[in-house]
Amino acid sequence: MDPILEHKQLMTRRHFFSKSAMNVSVGSAALASMTGPQLTAADTGQPTGGILHAPHFPAKAKRVIYLFMSGAPSQLDLFDHKPKMDEWYDKDLPDSVRQGQRLTTMTSKQKRFPIAPSKFKFQQHGNSGAWVSELLPHTASVADDICFIKSMHTEAINHDPAITYIQTGSQLPGRPSLGSWLSYGLGTMNRDLPDFVVLTATWTGRKSAQALYNRLWGAGFLPSKYQGVALRSQGDPVLYLSNPPGVDPTARRQMLDGLSQLNQKLYAEVGDPEINTRIAQYEMAYRMQTSVPDLTDISNEPKHVLDMYGPEVTKPGTFAASCLLARRMVERDVRFVQIFIRGWDQHGSLPNDISNQCRDVDQGGAALIKDLKERGMLDDTLILWGGEFGRTIYCQGGLSRENYGRDHHPRCFTMWAAGGGIKPGMTYGQTDDFSYNITENPVHIHDLNATILHQLGIDHERLTYRYQGRDFRLTDVHGNIVNDILL
Amino acid sequence: MNRFVAHFAIFSFLAFGSLCGSPAIAKEIDFNRDVRRILSDKCFTCHGPDGEQRQAGLRLDQQISAFAKLESGETAIVPGQPGESELVHRITTDDEFTQMPPPESEKQLTAAEIAILKQWISEGGKYQKHWSFITPTRPKVPTSDRAGFVRNPIDHFILKKLQETKLSPNPQASKETLIRRVKLDLTGLPPTIQEIDAFLQDDSPKAYEKVVDRLLSSPRFGEHMARYWLDAARYGDTHGLHLDNERAIWLYREWVIDAFNNNKPFDEFTIEQLAGDLLPNPTVDQKIATGFNRCNVTTSEGGSIAQEYLVRYAVDRVETTSTVFMGMTMGCAVCHDHKYDPFTMTDFYSMFAYYYSLTEKAMDGNALLPPPTMKVPTPEQQQQMEQYSTQIAALQKDIKEKLLAVEYTDPTPDASQELSREDFVWIEDEVPNGANPQGNTPWEFVSVEKKPVFSGKTASTRTAEGLSQHFFTDAKPLLTIGAEDMLFAYVYLDPENPPKEIMLQFNDGSWNHRAVWGDKNAIDWGELGTASRQYLGELPALGKWTRLDVPIAKVGLKAGSKLNGWAFTQFGGTVYWDKAGLNTITPQAGMQFESLARWDAVQRGLKGEGLPGNIANLIKIEPDKRNAAQQNQLKDYFLEKVYKGSQEIFGPLNTQLAALEKSKNELDQQIPSTLIMQDLKEKRQAYVLMRGEYDKPDENRPVEPNVPAFMPPLPEDAPKNRLSLARWLVSAEHPLTSRVTVNRYWQKFFGTGLVKTAEDFGSQGESPSHPELLDWLAVEFRESGWDIKAMQKLIVMSGAYRQSSVVDPQKYTTDPENRLLARGPRFRLDAEMVRDNALYLSDLLIERVGGKSVKPYQPKGLWNAVGYTNSNTANFTQDHGEALYRRSMYTFWKRTSPPPTMSIFDAPSREACTVRRERTNTPMQALALMNDIQFVEAARRYARRIMTEAGETDREKIVWAFRTATSRMPDEKEIQVIQKLLTTYREKYVQNPDQAQALLSVGESPREESLDVQQQAAWTMIANLILNLDETISKG
Repeated sequence: MDPILEHKQLMTRRHFFSKSAMNVSVGSAALASMTGPQLTAADTGQPTGGILHAPHFPAKAKRVIYLFMSGAPSQLDLFDHKPKMDEWYDKDLPDSVRQGQRLTTMTSKQKRFPIAPSKFKFQQHGNSGAWVSELLPHTASVADDICFIKSMHTEAINHDPAITYIQTGSQLPGRPSLGSWLSYGLGTMNRDLPDFVVLTATWTGRKSAQALYNRLWGAGFLPSKYQGVALRSQGDPVLYLSNPPGVDPTARRQMLDGLSQLNQKLYAEVGDPEINTRIAQYEMAYRMQTSVPDLTDISNEPKHVLDMYGPEVTKPGTFAASCLLARRMVERDVRFVQIFIRGWDQHGSLPNDISNQCRDVDQGGAALIKDLKERGMLDDTLILWGGEFGRTIYCQGGLSRENYGRDHHPRCFTMWAAGGGIKPGMTYGQTDDFSYNITENPVHIHDLNATILHQLGIDHERLTYRYQGRDFRLTDVHGNIVNDILL
Repeated sequence: MNRFVAHFAIFSFLAFGSLCGSPAIAKEIDFNRDVRRILSDKCFTCHGPDGEQRQAGLRLDQQISAFAKLESGETAIVPGQPGESELVHRITTDDEFTQMPPPESEKQLTAAEIAILKQWISEGGKYQKHWSFITPTRPKVPTSDRAGFVRNPIDHFILKKLQETKLSPNPQASKETLIRRVKLDLTGLPPTIQEIDAFLQDDSPKAYEKVVDRLLSSPRFGEHMARYWLDAARYGDTHGLHLDNERAIWLYREWVIDAFNNNKPFDEFTIEQLAGDLLPNPTVDQKIATGFNRCNVTTSEGGSIAQEYLVRYAVDRVETTSTVFMGMTMGCAVCHDHKYDPFTMTDFYSMFAYYYSLTEKAMDGNALLPPPTMKVPTPEQQQQMEQYSTQIAALQKDIKEKLLAVEYTDPTPDASQELSREDFVWIEDEVPNGANPQGNTPWEFVSVEKKPVFSGKTASTRTAEGLSQHFFTDAKPLLTIGAEDMLFAYVYLDPENPPKEIMLQFNDGSWNHRAVWGDKNAIDWGELGTASRQYLGELPALGKWTRLDVPIAKVGLKAGSKLNGWAFTQFGGTVYWDKAGLNTITPQAGMQFESLARWDAVQRGLKGEGLPGNIANLIKIEPDKRNAAQQNQLKDYFLEKVYKGSQEIFGPLNTQLAALEKSKNELDQQIPSTLIMQDLKEKRQAYVLMRGEYDKPDENRPVEPNVPAFMPPLPEDAPKNRLSLARWLVSAEHPLTSRVTVNRYWQKFFGTGLVKTAEDFGSQGESPSHPELLDWLAVEFRESGWDIKAMQKLIVMSGAYRQSSVVDPQKYTTDPENRLLARGPRFRLDAEMVRDNALYLSDLLIERVGGKSVKPYQPKGLWNAVGYTNSNTANFTQDHGEALYRRSMYTFWKRTSPPPTMSIFDAPSREACTVRRERTNTPMQALALMNDIQFVEAARRYARRIMTEAGETDREKIVWAFRTATSRMPDEKEIQVIQKLLTTYREKYVQNPDQAQALLSVGESPREESLDVQQQAAWTMIANLILNLDETISKG
């Protein structure tokens, strides 16, 4: 609705308050109906509050669940099968492959770069024949629903800049994250829950894990209302959600009714529309006090659904539990859910740590695909899985057939996508025999982000925000849509 | 046209039609006002300053190029002749192949824009420099008047614009509103009822000015001003990247507060922060000030490439400096010449060169104080340090004199004499040098008066229920083990309370070397029968000192093993331990000798291990190659520290000296330090970096430190350093610094700057709403001697500031953002103010300036959810007591997980420079204000005030509570609403005393026990309501 028109309507409503004696018994229901179109527009199911008002083109995906593997999983031990490497065990990475590219200072002083073939068995799965390692049996079982992108690449070679880069389009702090761009562009689809929710899952891989940063779901220079809201497994699921001890919902409702009356009266006198917005926000806060516990209460989930996500699903904070919550959120039209799981930074003892880590993520991730498919929601829900870069074919530290470590490798890594208008049962992009260089169809992280926005109906070049004299966008001045993987 | 665009057009027409020159008005075109924006938005991408992107050789940002003949033979602009101008042809043609901007660029010109360009060309196509690059001169103050509105020159400018748009200003706000507004704006805190009443009663014409002057001299003023500055300076208490460990730079924050409180002129304020270290004989404070450019985020991530980060830090400093002082980021010019403003890459890297030669390391080492740093003792600390130094010097002198008196003849000058096997005592009365004592409970030493002691002055002891131990690690020098050596220790078991088992344990890097006596399995560490748990016999006799001997082979040690740690362990009982060490013939650092020659030989074998550096260096010289002075120095050291015969004299002196040095060292550790700037002696050569990449310096384009070429130049004799840069920024010719600064002050008071884009005064930024006023203020500021307090006062004394903020529909429709100021400012308090306000109203706020950052309440697990596991900020430990109630600007700022209530209310993360906060209105804010422990505790304490400080009746209490929070009297309706709620809550809590008790237990501050629990609970809910009122968290 036209903001000026809306304001005028509200101003005429002031008469009600200023002329008639203010009735102190005006209840919340009456107030809710008076607080105007802004509050109820979301009831129509149409997104509200986005800068775009309408998508640039029809959206294939309405929602996104992004499973982020922080620390960078080894593509070599999970997806990018390199059988030839067996013969190369402990031989040096040829200079012709490395081509003098820069390495991190953790291995750049190593005297040798001995090849460490994956110790894990690979098989082809499904009609599509996708290669998946034995570490991910559940993921393998849904291979025909997945598009594996083996040719992801980035420029950053350390965690902080790399994860900041893939999440915000810049290696340096300060820019808005993917989810906040979506909220800014598309607004919200529901009136009871935040639009962009982040979960941080527990992990069992390497204990010493890379950090996350609030900036990864921050709003950067966008207004802070677009930042991701953390859904926590400890304490209040949403910060400050619970009433303090000694204050029950009735007492809170009574306080809010009084507050609305007093704020409404102030609005009638002062005319600042921000007061009106504040009234609406308190009402949303109140609704969240019910809707969030309802969201996180999984007691009504049938056993077969819980079984699908695996035994960890009932343990709060696990990856499986987070995946189930993600499904419950997208069902409630939360647009963007991102789950971060740490522990993938396996410089040494990789085989042991990655096995634990895969047990954490395999079943929950696969269950999301199955569960959404059964509910008919996979078609318009985009699921993404991956980390900030890949890992090296050469070994960091001691090497044996059974044990090895891998350093950071930005030049190629694997991510997967499912649903949301992405071609299922597909493998895209190729790397060389060493999984060191891309040989076919490179996909830069900007390309991936451009494609994600595209699936949500956004032209990544046209969703911009002017700041410090420049029209900023998620993909900076880069990004090409990966049309080959789109339905 | 979609809906959004339509609205936007209406808005911009209504708000700025008259500000920026309506296309419909056929008055003369002004390039800066009317044309630049069109060219910049629609044309500069391909025809602007960026040489790489330029098409057809045409440059429209410069007159000379725009008027010149093009490669094609055409001329873009023929002054006065639109018909001859190719530009006009191109923007009006329908031919898609020649049309400009190209149809696919989506930058189409509107009909109005085309009309402006045509009119501009027919009027001669006159160019002007971008307005903000022209040094401001003081404009004539317009003559307009309106009784009761005009208070000072500001108002004439405001009124002139209002009259042009047929708006009239609001009447002055009520005195209550006014004192609330000005106290919040100047100190960040609301007025008390006493302050309001005093102001209401003061009818003198100077009443308001008196309030303003009083507030400007409050220490709260400096804190409040500093808060804005710290956003710009990107101040934080952690490094910001990767581990995000703690950083100690809070002394800089204190410097900023003091600078504002002392009204340091803005030019000095600028110079000291950018280059205080380069001033002649800089004071401690001037160096602390340079922390400004040490606030940037830094990393120490394993694997990072140092050069990449040195470049990033310098880039950050250029961007911050240029944003804060010039309202320009220059950031675009890192990779290419600026597309819209005349910054070139050379300009950028010339600025970069100022910051490229610092002594800081690329990797911060995750240290609290990555160098360069400076210690800043308090006067008391300084005095104590000096006292220690004097005492130490006196002792050293004494030792020296006594040394002269020692007569020494080497008993065995033949150094080849074999050592005999003897006890080397490693542990006696204290742990060895440098060792780190630890244990289940601390080491306890007992002296001979009360307890058994075998030798020396004390023995260590421990009484335990079960397994217990004390131990140390990290001893230096290490204990060197020789073949067939025997470790030993003396033990005494209390006959009244004997242990079940005792154990000695040795650390050579691993603790897996254990010897046990008594029960074999009470202590179950290691594997019995191996070196990891070797059984050496029954418990020794009770009530007497016994020597325990441990053959090294039994516990898996061999010749060459070196111990750094030792543990005394017991299961139950009371045990005393005394001197312990190694029976050996292997020379040990720290051994005592009779013969200088022998000691010399032994030390040479040990390569001086454990000796002070200068002595170790002398030892390494062959004896016959030393000169006499060197030999004497060695001999003095020997006599003082090593010679058995003189230890009776020097032992106690050295012990005393060591104790003094230890105390001095401990005090030294307590003295706060802070990060400062320092240049390398030999500067690094800076180059233009191709595409901004750190590893692609363009060897053909070296750059020297310099200011942008299109701006006023540096004085010819100016040294090429930061001091010149800082002085240039505050020079009279500088077109930007004063404008940018007064604009931020304006923004602080009115919510929006005269230039809305406070961070961008370039051609892509918004034009000023009142250009003459901006220039007038800028010149006034500079000519006042950069007097910050005077500028604050000038603004708050204006009639524009003093208006009522009530908005009627007509005014709102005409000017929704209040850019024309036909009403006073009204907006929500900033994050810090929201919290400080609640603490202040509830009488919890600690009003003390400065100090280290504190950790008030925050929900559990926030740091842990994101922190690197080994970071020293991975786990949040909340403070207690006063630390919970300090002003929010002292809250510890972890940049990768900032204080949640600050972020929720729009505080930036402080990872990058921010000069303008957004102001949002969200449900998260409502939840925080209703439920955060800090705000609930504040409500509880506010209730206490209501019950004890207000009058007797409910009505009096309600009025007091409402008025204290909102600064105005409630009316009947408001009192009714609150009274009704109060009744409801009273009933509720009388019926549910447990709930009342629960509510009153929120927060750590004590409850007033004399107050009735149910009553206070009911009032707490009323206080919670009042603290959540829009009016309580807004200035109106």
